[in-house]
Amino acid sequence: MLIKVQIVVGLLSIFLLWTTFELVRKNRLREEYAILWLFTGIVVLVFSLWPEFLLSQFFAKITGIFYLSAVVVIAFLFLLLIVLHFSVVISKLTNQNKELAQRYALLELKINELKRHFPPLENTLP
Amino acid sequence: METQGRTLVIIPAYNEEGSVGKVVEEVRHNLPQADIVIVNDGSRDLTSIKARSYEATVLDLPFNLGIGGAMQAGYKYTFEKGYDIAIQVDADGQHDPKEIPKLLHALTEEKVDMVIGSRFLGVSEFKSSLMRRIGISIFSRVISTIAKQKITDPTSGFRAVNRKAIQLFASNYPQDYPEPEAVVLLHQCGLKMRETPVVMSKRYSGESSITKIRSVYYVIKVLLAIFVDCFKKPPFLEEEEERC
Repeated sequence: MLIKVQIVVGLLSIFLLWTTFELVRKNRLREEYAILWLFTGIVVLVFSLWPEFLLSQFFAKITGIFYLSAVVVIAFLFLLLIVLHFSVVISKLTNQNKELAQRYALLELKINELKRHFPPLENTLP
Repeated sequence: METQGRTLVIIPAYNEEGSVGKVVEEVRHNLPQADIVIVNDGSRDLTSIKARSYEATVLDLPFNLGIGGAMQAGYKYTFEKGYDIAIQVDADGQHDPKEIPKLLHALTEEKVDMVIGSRFLGVSEFKSSLMRRIGISIFSRVISTIAKQKITDPTSGFRAVNRKAIQLFASNYPQDYPEPEAVVLLHQCGLKMRETPVVMSKRYSGESSITKIRSVYYVIKVLLAIFVDCFKKPPFLEEEEERC
């Protein structure tokens, strides 16, 4: 029973690691976001390779949850972290986006005013 | 009507092609010495073209930022251009430009940094839905407690501010539903404000941005933002060098 779970979880974590690696390689995922995903994949992989791993034993003992559930809970905690991280990133991007839009509008207005005062040279040439 | 320094009227507009021209005309008529800037918040209608046809300066945002982002863009423009006084007027016509001199008078006479035009001070025949009145009274109580002074109409966007507040709002202006939060921000920075009674009319066109279902979200969101603001470090206002 345990070996089946180990294989499934192991394959899943390898798939996750491989996908993350490929995304980074193809420049579709930035390294800073890849780190958390890679870390998640590695931890889950370690748990699948060594179910007797010190931490998993310890984790099962203090929480009283079984191996599979422990893996799921740990993966879930990582996902929580990742999603929270994304919320922070999105907030930052929204703010930068707003600043950009405002500066863009101000610059556009300035350019139009300059054009009115100093018409482009092409128009004055014969 | 005499005011010290240069005055700018900021009119944020989102899909207000039906009323923006009339507002510009009335502001010009009541306040000929002031400049006007329309902040077109990514409107999908002819707001920008309509405003230009009245020879107003138009600040075109590339997409819709919401009233907070649009107002802040207006304040950034005001700050860069070196205006001493800014007046916020809605483009939908509910703020009567005839009342602007009252705001200006209060701003210069009382030596405060911001004057809010209140619908609830003095004689006012302003009528609104029960929901809205409840919301406003909650804000009024919370903000009056925080600001340690009576603010009867914290949601009013009919305001006049001086250079100091312009500087603050250019660098820091709340998003989404900014009016009540801006009052808290101003208080945290140690700037002074007061209210003056104004008459507000029905909007010429368009719908309020706050519908019934949204109003509950609005109240909760703003209260939460104000609560968080109380724990934030107030932004530091650099002393501006004397301008000639």
